[in-house]
Amino acid sequence: MAGKSGRTINNIPENPVRKMIFSWEGILFLLLIAINIFCSMYSEFYNISSLLRQMPVYLAEVFLMLGMAFILVMGEIDISVGSIVCLSATLACLSSNAGLPFPAVFLVSLLVGTACGIVNALILTNFQELPPMIVTLSTQIIFRGLAEIILGSGGSVSVSNTAGFRAIAGKVGQVPYILFLVLILAVIYAVVLGKSTFGRSVYAIGTNRTTAYYSGIPVQKIRFVIYTLMGTLCGVCAMFLISNSYGANTTTGENFEMDAIAMAVFGGIMSTGGRGNIAGGVISAIIIVCLRVGLGQRNVNAQVILLIIGLLLICTVGLPNLVKNMRQTRKVKKN
Amino acid sequence: MSEYVLELKGITKIFPGVKALNNVQFQLLPGEVHALMGENGAGKSTFIKVITGVHKAEEGEIFLDGEKVDFKGPKDAQEAGIAAVYQHPTSYPDLTVAENIFMGHEIVKNHMIQWGAMNAEANKLLQKLDADFDAKAEMGTLSVAQQQMVEIAKAISTNARIIILDEPTASLTRAESEKLYKLVDQLKEDGVSIIFISHRFEDMYRLASRVTVFRDSQYIGTYPVDGITNADLIKAMVGREITTMYPKPKVEIGDEVLRIEHFSMPGYFKDVSFNVRAGEILGMTGLVGAGRTEVVEAVCGITQVEEGKVYLNREEIHIRKPIDAMKKGIILLPEDRQKEGLIMSWGLGRNVTLPIMGKYAKRGLNDNKKEREVSRDLLESVDTKAVDIFQPASSLSGGNQQKVVVAKALGQEMKVVIMDEPTKGVDVGAKAEIYAIMGDLAKQGYAIILISSEMPEILGMADRIFVMCNGRKTGELMREEATQEIILDLSMEKASGKEAR
Repeated sequence: MAGKSGRTINNIPENPVRKMIFSWEGILFLLLIAINIFCSMYSEFYNISSLLRQMPVYLAEVFLMLGMAFILVMGEIDISVGSIVCLSATLACLSSNAGLPFPAVFLVSLLVGTACGIVNALILTNFQELPPMIVTLSTQIIFRGLAEIILGSGGSVSVSNTAGFRAIAGKVGQVPYILFLVLILAVIYAVVLGKSTFGRSVYAIGTNRTTAYYSGIPVQKIRFVIYTLMGTLCGVCAMFLISNSYGANTTTGENFEMDAIAMAVFGGIMSTGGRGNIAGGVISAIIIVCLRVGLGQRNVNAQVILLIIGLLLICTVGLPNLVKNMRQTRKVKKN
Repeated sequence: MSEYVLELKGITKIFPGVKALNNVQFQLLPGEVHALMGENGAGKSTFIKVITGVHKAEEGEIFLDGEKVDFKGPKDAQEAGIAAVYQHPTSYPDLTVAENIFMGHEIVKNHMIQWGAMNAEANKLLQKLDADFDAKAEMGTLSVAQQQMVEIAKAISTNARIIILDEPTASLTRAESEKLYKLVDQLKEDGVSIIFISHRFEDMYRLASRVTVFRDSQYIGTYPVDGITNADLIKAMVGREITTMYPKPKVEIGDEVLRIEHFSMPGYFKDVSFNVRAGEILGMTGLVGAGRTEVVEAVCGITQVEEGKVYLNREEIHIRKPIDAMKKGIILLPEDRQKEGLIMSWGLGRNVTLPIMGKYAKRGLNDNKKEREVSRDLLESVDTKAVDIFQPASSLSGGNQQKVVVAKALGQEMKVVIMDEPTKGVDVGAKAEIYAIMGDLAKQGYAIILISSEMPEILGMADRIFVMCNGRKTGELMREEATQEIILDLSMEKASGKEAR
């Protein structure tokens, strides 16, 4: 069946470089540079080496952002991740103190995280009418509750054998291992979300779930995988947290879900689903890390830093609309 | 006093980059039903929005009873007695009928809503319209037809003198349409002037005394309905003559491809069996709600049946998920293009390749180059009116969106093609093209199931007609023996027909 009218349809994409400069990620990248200039003017101690030294504390949360990005693109949310981190860290510390070798401790942390992720996934895929917000709010309370039962109310645990944790907190020159791991994982996640058929399916689910289902996309299978992997990432995050504090307590990982969501949304990954990419999320995560390090050096209160990040976030949500409007008026003027 | 209740002169409306209306005119007589016709994108909707004050025209004048008016917003038009009822009622589904009717002009005393008075008043209105539901019913529980009735009641409650009905019969069954016709007659008797937009010619013949045609944002003409023919109208609307509306090719019908036996799903359908053969078009018809869509969705694994067997090429197959059906070559073109068929904000190319991207992916990664070629070829093969494969599906007209849905199906390995209301909301020109594609597919030996509520479409395209009523099969007719009357008789509810539910 050839086209009867002989009409042809263009299939050559427009120049990607131009598109990149005008994209949200492009703007974020400029903002990152601006913030670095600002921080180094504002704080005399702010430079690359101090940034690299203080980074690891904050980088652990970027793992969560990667998983959260998939969930947000799918148009859903997982607010139980902070509690999963807490439970994983608690059990990892305890198993380390029980004499397990470090690789086994790492495995425990991953398995606990994955198991929690599977719990979320099982509930969400079997009771599809339940909103993820409500389900993960419940599991948020349950997972942290479990950690509190294990630790006792307000309790904490410290690891006695810190050798393994010190090892993963190591550096190559000045660059901490965790930065490498974050970047490697970010690249993998970016390729999967941006280039693979799996990623395309995630966008389809986030944009129009019904059409995705009618088009033969295994919606529930994909949701299961994503929520499970989110749990696994929580396990990774927990291990690097312990490598900083050599212990865990009942408030470990508190508000991490909100930090992860903030990083992702600031990076242009809309919570309404179907929009944004990992590159944006990673750049925004680095911006937030830089701000925390830079402002923290001048003893700016942690709450004030949060306030600044919050303001940035609100501006961000408004800005894409502004950019869009400007582009449209430009187009109309051209016509 | 002018002889017209409503007159528009030289209306031009410009949207960024397009002239949606170009110097159009319109006159409405008192107590007249005036049909407004034209293809999708001809500017009818924009025109309505100018009348109702939603859009402000850049140029032109509006006269009400000969006096020039200037609507600053929808409220002004409402106060002037103009009301519009849309195809998909824009109501509040969680509120009651009475609340919907009086939304914005509640009966108030001392700043308190008078519920008793409001419900009573609403019931009075509903009674007048011969409605079969109560004012306290929740809007969301009503059928589309009933919701439209509520919208009409709302229009009457605001003392509207001019009511605009925008494609009111598009989602109605025949019986429901019949009821709407009566309602319009009644409104006319009460002296209300009505502007009626529809793609269905029968609506126009039945109701309107005059018809105005728009094409490409321009006014083409106003004609008396007496003495006008389908061909005249189509020519005015499309700008060219369509020789054959239903190009049904002669096809040698082959072996049975798909057979459904004893399909049952409590509450939806019971003991439905049918088969379809290679090169055959099986028409499935019946009133809306007869269970046609539910049956084919179960065949395609969208939902699960409680009982029943599916045979493909005489071998039993088991389908649990949509992907199972697709792998076997049973392809569904869903009824609702915007919600089930396409991802409206995505480019056409990605839409077309969504079900097949896994086939040419390399190690799980998309092959973008191949994808662009495949999607372009598919879109061109159905002659989609599009500029490039990156434009969003929402930028196309209904007919072209349907072609994209067809292209999406063509990319898959098909044996059975199930088209659910493929021409719903599609204009005449594109309709003919979709029928031509359907005919081509039959010629190539695919088995086709066509679900449709439009009688001419079923009679024109189907080799065999399968009629359902209330979730049960009520009859099967060959093309030669089928007439509108027989089909209608089979689709109507009989005394014994309620048992299935």
